[in-house]
Amino acid sequence: MTTNGVATVIRVDHVSRWFGSVVAVSDVTFDITPGITGLLGPNGAGKTTLLRMITGLAGVSDGSVTVFGQPVRDNPPLYGRIGVMSEHETVYGFMKGRDFVRMMGRLKGVTDLEAAVDKAIGFVDLADAAQRPMGTYSRGMRQRMRLAATLVHDPEILILDEPLNGADPRQRVHFQVLLRQLAAEGRTIVLSSHILEEVELLADTVLLIVNGKLAASGGFRAIRAALDERPYHVLVVSDSPRELASAVVQLDSVDAVNVDPDGTIVVLSRNVRDLQVELPRLAQSASISLRRVEPLDDSLESVFGYLAEG
Amino acid sequence: MGSVYVLTLRQLSGRWRLVIMSVLASMPVLMAAMLVRSDRAPSVEEFELVVLSGMLAGAVLPLVVLAVASTAFANEVEDRTLANLTLSPIPRWHIVVPKLLAAVSVSGPFVALSAFLTSYVAYNADLTATFAVTVSALAGVALYSSAFVWLGLVTTKAIGIGLFYIVLWEGYFAGFVSGIRILSVRYHSIALMHGLDGRRFAEENTLSVGFAVGASIVVFAGFLLLSIRRLRRMDVP
Amino acid sequence: MTKGPVEGTVFDIGYQNYAGPREGRNRARLAVFKDGVRTSLGLGRGARAKILPWFFIALLAMIALIMAMVAGAVNRLGGPEAAAQLPSHSDYYGIASIIFFVFAAVGAPELLCPDRRDGVINLYLVRPLTGTDYVAARWSAFFTVMLATAWVPQVILLIGLTMGDPDPKAYFLTNWLDVPRFLASGIPLAAYATTLALLTAAFTTRRAYASVFLVGLFAITTPFTTGLAMEIGGTVGQWISMFNLSNIPVHVNDVIFGEVSVITREAPAAELSAWILVGWFFLWTLGPGGILWLRYRRLAV
Repeated sequence: MTTNGVATVIRVDHVSRWFGSVVAVSDVTFDITPGITGLLGPNGAGKTTLLRMITGLAGVSDGSVTVFGQPVRDNPPLYGRIGVMSEHETVYGFMKGRDFVRMMGRLKGVTDLEAAVDKAIGFVDLADAAQRPMGTYSRGMRQRMRLAATLVHDPEILILDEPLNGADPRQRVHFQVLLRQLAAEGRTIVLSSHILEEVELLADTVLLIVNGKLAASGGFRAIRAALDERPYHVLVVSDSPRELASAVVQLDSVDAVNVDPDGTIVVLSRNVRDLQVELPRLAQSASISLRRVEPLDDSLESVFGYLAEG
Repeated sequence: MGSVYVLTLRQLSGRWRLVIMSVLASMPVLMAAMLVRSDRAPSVEEFELVVLSGMLAGAVLPLVVLAVASTAFANEVEDRTLANLTLSPIPRWHIVVPKLLAAVSVSGPFVALSAFLTSYVAYNADLTATFAVTVSALAGVALYSSAFVWLGLVTTKAIGIGLFYIVLWEGYFAGFVSGIRILSVRYHSIALMHGLDGRRFAEENTLSVGFAVGASIVVFAGFLLLSIRRLRRMDVP
Repeated sequence: MTKGPVEGTVFDIGYQNYAGPREGRNRARLAVFKDGVRTSLGLGRGARAKILPWFFIALLAMIALIMAMVAGAVNRLGGPEAAAQLPSHSDYYGIASIIFFVFAAVGAPELLCPDRRDGVINLYLVRPLTGTDYVAARWSAFFTVMLATAWVPQVILLIGLTMGDPDPKAYFLTNWLDVPRFLASGIPLAAYATTLALLTAAFTTRRAYASVFLVGLFAITTPFTTGLAMEIGGTVGQWISMFNLSNIPVHVNDVIFGEVSVITREAPAAELSAWILVGWFFLWTLGPGGILWLRYRRLAV
C-alpha cells in the first residue's frame, strides 16, 4: 500500500477506543510513511492512547492498526522491527545502564550484542555512566538510557512519546540531529511532543489530535493554508500607520485592519498571496515607507492554537 | 527466557524480603524441635493438624509464595516496566514461564528447607516421611505460584484476594465446610503427602491421592495457560 | 540610544484573587482524614476500588447475621436456655478477628504506601502539615473505618438476637448491657488492628509486602504460641500465650464482658489478671504507635 507513491508503513484505519463511557479516540484514520511524523494535541487529546494502539500495547475498540501490512496486536515477531519509548520514566533502579541496554538488546534478538550496546550508549553519550545503577541517574540520564535501549536493535520504526523530557538544550540539539539522521536512512519515526518548536523543526508531517479526533494532518503550513475560515494576521510597521490602514482596508484581499496604540497595524487577510502584491503597490502609490511586514501566525503554535483551542 | 528469569530473580530477591521469609520458614522447624523435646509429645493427628497443615501448609507456604509470586508481574505493572518485556519479539510464554520459574526458585528453597527440617526433626530422620512432606510442599509451591502469578497479572488487588483465599477460604471456612477442601491447594498438598507416605500421617483424609494429583496438574497448567492468555490480550500499561 | 526601564501595565481581564476565609492546619488535617476514610472504603473511585473493602464488611456482617439466625432457630426449637449457650456479642470479636485483621492488612497499606512510593507525601508536607499531623490523620481515618466495621455487625447481631427472641422487649431489657460492652470492646480491636497494620505499611512502599507480613505475623504466632504454651504450661506458658498476637484485643474484650470468649477459652493467657491483659494490650498498641509516629515525625520535604 502506498501514500502519494511512498510505501505506507503504519496504517490506522477508522480506529476508535473507548473506556466505559469515555471515548479516548474517535474514528481516526491516517497513514504514516518513512520520515518524521509529529503527533500533537492538548493534554487528554488521545495521543498516548493512539500511540499505544499503534504499538500494540493497547487494543482497539473499533477499526484496525497495521504495521508493514500486518496487524500489530498480539504479533510479537513484529516487535523486532519497532522501537518504542513510552512517556513513563520508570526504570529498573537496581540495574546498571549497560546491563539494561544489553538485556533489551538480547530480548530483541540482537546478534552482535556488545557492539550494538556500545553504539546505542554512544548515541546518547552515556558511556561514562553506563556502569552505574540507573537508580542513581538523573531524570535526563534515565531518559537517554531508555532511548539507547530503544535504539539498540536498530529498528525500522521508532515510536517516541515525549522523548525529550528532562533533556538539556545540548542533548536536545544532539537528539534532533540523531533523529534527522535516522529519518534520512529511511526509518519511520513517530514523535509525540508538547514542544511545538521542535516538532515544527523536525517533523515532515504533523498529525493534530483534538478530543480524540484527527483535527488535521500534513505539513503545518499546508494545514494553516487549509484553515480558510481563519484570516492570516500580518503585522505592518510603516511611517504613516493610519493613512496606510485607511488605504489597506479598501483592498479586496483584506478582511479587517487593527491599529495598535504603538502605531503598528495588523492586517487580517484570507488571501495573503494577493496581499503580498497589493500592499507594496499601495504603499508606493501613497508614498508610505514600509518598515516591517511579518506574518504573525505562520507557525505550528498558531495552527495548534486555532485547532486545539478554537 | 534467561533474561526474563534473571531479571525476575533480581526483582523478587530483596534483602529484607529474604530475611522475613527465612524467619517465617524457621517457625515450623522450631515448633517441631520443641515438640519433639517435650514430655507431652503430640499425637500424629495433632502434629499434622497444627504444624504440618496449620503452620507449614496453611501459613508459611502460601504466604511466602503469595508475597513472591503475586508480585512477579504485579510490580512490573505497577512500575509500568512490563512493556519492556511485552514489546519484545518473543512468544508470550517466553515471558510467563520464566516469571513463574523465578517465583518458584525464590520461594521454593525456603519452603522446601522448612518442610524438610520440620519433618526430619519430627519424624526422627525418617527419610520417607521427610521426602513426602518436602515433595508435597514443593508441589504446593508450584500450584500456589501458578495461581498467584496469574492473579498478579489480572488484578491490582491480588494480595487482598490471595489473603482471602489463604486465610479465610482455606483456613477459616474450610474448617466449617469440608467440601471446600476440594477447591483448596493446601488440602491437595496434604493429600499428596498422605499418598507418598501413608504410614506416618493421620488416617483421616478427605481427598484421594489420585484426585489430588490430577487436580494439581489441571490447576498448575490451567493457571499457566490463563497467564499466557492474559498477557496476550491485556492492555499493557 | 540607551533605553530606560520599560513600563508595564496590568489589565483587568477578570482575574480575582481568592478573598474568602483561609483555614489553616486543622482544615488540612481534616482533609487528610477525609481522604483516608474515602480511600479505605473506595469512595469517590471506581467500582473496583470498592469491591474488597465492602466485601470484607459484608462478610463480617454476614457472620453476625448467621449467628443471629442460628440463635433464633435454636431458640424456637430448643428454648432460650439452649440459645443462651450459643456464641453471642462477647464471642463475636473473637470469631471475626481473623477477618478483621486481614481487612486491616489489606486496607491500611493503601493509606501510606502509595503516597511514599509516588512521592505524593511531599505535596502534603509543603502544606501546613507536619509528619505527625499526616500520620495522625491517616491513623484516625483508618481507625474510624475499623471501628464502624466492628460496630455495625454487632448492631446487626443485636437486632437479630432481639427480634429472634419470643419476647424482644424482655430480651433487650435483660441484655442491654451488651450494647455499651460491645461498643467499648470494639475500640481496642480497631485501635490495635489500625496501629499494627499502619506500622507494617510504614516500613515499605509496596502494599503487597506490608499486607503479607502482617497476616504472616498473626498466622504464624497463633499456632506457634498456642502449641508452645500448652507444652510448657504454668506461668511461662501463660506468658508465651500472651504472644498470640491475634488474641491480644480479644482478651480485652473478655475483660469488658467479664467472661472468656469461645476463642480464648483454651488460651492459657486468659487466666492472667485483667490488669495484665489490658496493660499488655496498651503495650502492643502504644508501642507500635510510638514507632509509627517516630517514623513519620521526622519527615520533611
